[in-house]
Amino acid sequence: MHEVSIAANLLEIVSEQCRKEGYRKIESIHLKIGRASGIMTDALLFAFDAIKTDSLAKDAVLMIDEVAVSGRCLDCGRNFTVEEEYVLQCPICGGASFQVSGGRELDIVDMEVS
Amino acid sequence: MKVKVATKILEANDRIALENRKIFDGAGVFVVNLMSGPGAGKTSLLEKTLAKKDGLRIGVIEGDIAGSDDAERIEKFGAPVVQINTGGACHLDANMISDVLGDLPLNELDLLFIENVGNLVCPAEFKVGEDMKVMLLSIAEGHDKPLKYPLMFQESSALVINKIDLAPYVDVDVSKIRKDALSLNPGLKMFEVSCRTGEGLDAWVQWLRETAGKHRVS
Repeated sequence: MHEVSIAANLLEIVSEQCRKEGYRKIESIHLKIGRASGIMTDALLFAFDAIKTDSLAKDAVLMIDEVAVSGRCLDCGRNFTVEEEYVLQCPICGGASFQVSGGRELDIVDMEVS
Repeated sequence: MKVKVATKILEANDRIALENRKIFDGAGVFVVNLMSGPGAGKTSLLEKTLAKKDGLRIGVIEGDIAGSDDAERIEKFGAPVVQINTGGACHLDANMISDVLGDLPLNELDLLFIENVGNLVCPAEFKVGEDMKVMLLSIAEGHDKPLKYPLMFQESSALVINKIDLAPYVDVDVSKIRKDALSLNPGLKMFEVSCRTGEGLDAWVQWLRETAGKHRVS
């Protein structure tokens, strides 16, 4: 539900950098969105399209890499990724001690400008 | 041409949250971001907490999409309160809090509650400058909630399970709520309370008092 806020923050960040560096137009924006970030990518695409009009990004498309939830088990020492949005136990050995390291990303990687 | 951005989308919000936090720290006030779905009993918990405050100086920021019903309920307890209407937004963000800081006597408070908009998803994503997040879940919402909405359970320091008096009337497994919440967040402190009967509230207020007190000393 907060995809509009996220889209507005995104638009502000890329527009400001675009202006600062003297470009006229943003063609595309590359994002990394973690599966556990609480963001639905379809809703983000929809929200961004709705607010990008009249901006330097009015023709920009979003390219979104979804990042799976991943971590490292402190019992068996192995790295893992899971399909779910959360980890309850190590999917390899079933251990309960683990560190989650990926899946919460809400990052702008780069953009194509002209 | 490709240019690097390498920025977190919520960086601006996080920066303002940090500024808020500095103001709170400077005033010596401990700040709790209280989150839950709609109707879990956030305002009721605050009313019951205010009734037991016993010298603890508590202020409240109320966040709602519209209306001032919650602020009026808090005002009856003589606590300083500010109502924020988000005008449709499903969560509070750091900027909204920054805007109302001048309306509260922060230097005269020990504890400030920020009651977020009723929503189990979005508020968990936005820092507002709090020292800790506390989540409220009423048992009538069902025992599937931790695994359906993991983020809020992961982000919170404490989980208050409310409406425990309804246990005989609803098909809910409270032990599953506890087990799943703890698996998601092993350090989670949990309380079972009923704002209606008063059960369990003393333990919650006692813990709150100790936690806010530790902050003051440090």
